[in-house]
Amino acid sequence: MNAYVGAEKLPVAGDPEREELLRVDNVSLSFGGVKAITDISFDILKGEIRAIIGPNGAGKTSMLNVINGFYHPQEGTITWQGKVRRKMKPYEAASQGIARTFQNVALFKGMTTLDNIMSGRSLKMHKNFFWQLLWRGPAEREEIEHRRKVEDIIDFLEIQAIRKTPVGRLPYGLQKRVELGRALAMEPDLLLLDEPMAGMNLEEKEDMSRFIIDVNQEFGTTIALIEHDMGVVMDLSDRVVVLDYGKKIADGPPEEVQASQAVIDAYLGVSH
Amino acid sequence: MLYDIFVDPFVQMYQMPDFFLQVLWEGFVAGILYALIALGFVLIFKASGVFNFAQGIMVVFAGLTLVGLHENGVPAFLALILTIGVMGVLAYGIERVVMRPLVNQPDIILLMATIGLTYFLIGFGELIFGGEPKRMITEELGLPTGSTAFEFGERGLVILQHIDIAAAVIAILMVTALGIFFNKTRIGRALRAVADDHQAALSVGISLNQIWAIVWFAAGLVALATGIMWGARSDVSFALEIIAFKALPVLILGGFTSIPGAIIGGLIIGFGEKIAELYWGGLVGGGIESWFAYIIALIFLLFRPQGLFGEKIIERV
Amino acid sequence: MFYREAGQFKTSYEKDQALFPIRQDKIGLGVILLIAFVVIPLTANDFFLASIMIPFLVFSLAAIGLNVLTGFCGQLSLGTGAFMGVGAYAAYKLTTIFPDVNVILLVLTSGIFSAIVGAIFGLPSLRIKGLYLAVTTLAAQFFLEWCFIRIGWLYNYNASGAIEIPTREMLGVVISGAEATPLARYFVVLSITVVIAFLISNVLRGRIGRSWMMIRDMDIAAELMGIRPLQTKLMAFAVSSYICGVAGAMMVFFWLNAAEPSSYSITLSFQILFMVILGGLGSVGGAFMGAAFIWILPIVLRAIPSMLGVDIGAETVEHLAFMVIGALIIFFLIVEPHGFARLWQIAKQKLRVWPFPY
Repeated sequence: MNAYVGAEKLPVAGDPEREELLRVDNVSLSFGGVKAITDISFDILKGEIRAIIGPNGAGKTSMLNVINGFYHPQEGTITWQGKVRRKMKPYEAASQGIARTFQNVALFKGMTTLDNIMSGRSLKMHKNFFWQLLWRGPAEREEIEHRRKVEDIIDFLEIQAIRKTPVGRLPYGLQKRVELGRALAMEPDLLLLDEPMAGMNLEEKEDMSRFIIDVNQEFGTTIALIEHDMGVVMDLSDRVVVLDYGKKIADGPPEEVQASQAVIDAYLGVSH
Repeated sequence: MLYDIFVDPFVQMYQMPDFFLQVLWEGFVAGILYALIALGFVLIFKASGVFNFAQGIMVVFAGLTLVGLHENGVPAFLALILTIGVMGVLAYGIERVVMRPLVNQPDIILLMATIGLTYFLIGFGELIFGGEPKRMITEELGLPTGSTAFEFGERGLVILQHIDIAAAVIAILMVTALGIFFNKTRIGRALRAVADDHQAALSVGISLNQIWAIVWFAAGLVALATGIMWGARSDVSFALEIIAFKALPVLILGGFTSIPGAIIGGLIIGFGEKIAELYWGGLVGGGIESWFAYIIALIFLLFRPQGLFGEKIIERV
Repeated sequence: MFYREAGQFKTSYEKDQALFPIRQDKIGLGVILLIAFVVIPLTANDFFLASIMIPFLVFSLAAIGLNVLTGFCGQLSLGTGAFMGVGAYAAYKLTTIFPDVNVILLVLTSGIFSAIVGAIFGLPSLRIKGLYLAVTTLAAQFFLEWCFIRIGWLYNYNASGAIEIPTREMLGVVISGAEATPLARYFVVLSITVVIAFLISNVLRGRIGRSWMMIRDMDIAAELMGIRPLQTKLMAFAVSSYICGVAGAMMVFFWLNAAEPSSYSITLSFQILFMVILGGLGSVGGAFMGAAFIWILPIVLRAIPSMLGVDIGAETVEHLAFMVIGALIIFFLIVEPHGFARLWQIAKQKLRVWPFPY
């Protein structure tokens, strides 16, 4: 799989040039009595691809949900671009520049591909209700300005042909791609990808990996991804966090993590 | 003004405890009847996820059939048995013609279909039995009439209608019977399986169609009982349809899938609206019975969106 | 054969985003407008205008209003009748308070009041979803109906408890009240309906319409993309109720001439909901088709027995009409749950590829 990872990776870990984009400190989250996340800390640096891995039920998706404000941790703090974040609503996270895709595709099923990606521009469009009523003039100009940006994304993801197709009719692999497009349309600082390659065949995985690398390198977008395919994770990511039963068991560059005894135990199963 | 709202009603309750008890009893009886209608809703919603708007009209339809048959010279008990048969045919017909082709459609489509069914049954019922109100054949069915007055304290009287007592007893018997049916029989177990997961139930060999016909029939029986009780208190007419709306706040309180919830919700609404009407209704010109139940349900929902017996909803993505 | 888009190339995004991007559709719309504004007024008799066209247009507008809320924003409402009533009573009070102001202006203003009321009853929608929300809108329905009965100020303390519409003119033509000709009223109703339908179509294809559909399709994802759920839903409630309010005001001002609280009962709510569902959720054109079906079908059904020369009592016909409507609703839901709008789309698709099946 290494073949298509052309560009050499930038040395990230420990690089003083890189600023911290997001830091999670001692976060714990529980539902009723069930502990989903226990005392986890890690950071995400600007411009890197950060992978979060772990066996099923390790708390990976919950972690993403905490990062984009959908769940509120009982303990711990989240520092976003140098500032400690207060408890907030999910839509505020979006306006601060965090976008994401979902484990089970969460597209707007009744809308076309174009409208789905346009919906990613919602935060950047401001013309009010009365301009919208008239349409001709400012509202139309704004719509077209954003349509151009969206068409760029459509070109980038090579989905021109399905522009006007309702997404409910698309095959799974394309839906995942549209979902990535929708997140990209938000021009996020941090892009959270929840299992972007789940259920894909090899070819689709290669395509998706290429898009992820391109997004990271061309737009400089910081990416945090959850993925089960170890090959993909080891090739794509700069640094990896490993969770197991809601606890962090390893953190570091892929090679280091791969060699860690705790990780091997978690994946192969060891009697505790 | 504040005195009228916050103090006066309670003073009245204290000074005239017999009247207060009478109001409670009225509320109790109304609550039982609401609960019975809600029960019909719950049965069908549990098994098929259909919000059966036609439950109200099934009550009227069952009552009309019973009375109509008797008017045409059929003896009361035979008419009762025939009506049960009619409800069975109706259940089978609904399952075959309406539910089966619409399986797996979104909630709102199924809701609409049951409203269509309501229109159909109104037209059909009126066509056959006429639109004018009819008197329920209470005595002919051997149900008690008349009333007993209990002396209360030194000066008070509380009057209990026998038919109301009978209604309460029948409701309790019915709920018990349904409980036993669901928990102890093979069909009951299949029904609970269907309620949990349609596809899983199908995959272990349970016939959805059969189960649905059975629950619609059970709901039809509940409707018949409700029709008799309610008809005995007023008359049998399509005006009764409006009580079906009252079952909605009851369902909100108790949850759409809980049988005990339906009963407790029914009682809360019954007590709440009678007390509110008689003690507070006068302040705003009366008639608040028409909407008070909904406001209770609305306020309740704001604090507990999952209903009285529902579990807390954890949203997942 | 004649419905082909081959050869029509779009060279700008403006053209691609037009309401009717295909030339044949534009021509079709032009023909319909021509019929509505010229042919019908020239040919139709008073009965057709007053009993079929005016109510049809009023209901179409109300169905568009409900469609904004239920079809586009996904919030089920059973309180449409009451929101229409708020518009009617508000317009009535406004004509009492400002007798000299143009009545059309007042009708359009009255919608603002029902928008406010609608937004208030939309507040619970933040926490309550689906069928549960339907019950809270029932609270609105019954509570508002009670207000129309109990608050004498709303109907100027008339002994009858009903509101009666005063005679008002515009440009020397009587357009409301008992003396207004059906033709004048038809033009007013048609113009208001067409203009509002056009304006709302603009909103629906832009940013705001999209945000409603996002909430409808997947509210959690919408929120994670920066949509404020409460604001968006309340706006849908307000816009929907505005349109319904205007429709309700038109209903009494240009059609019924007088209205009682029972005119705006739960039955009306259901009627409008049927129009929306049968016409097709999320389609402005479908609202017109649904309204035509639900309003005109009973009229036709009632006329059939006398046309066939069969002699049955009026009551029996009424009961039969009820049965047939109920059965047809179920039938159409089974055949095409997405409504007439979808059937129309399928027909167009078939035409486009004709003579091949696909």
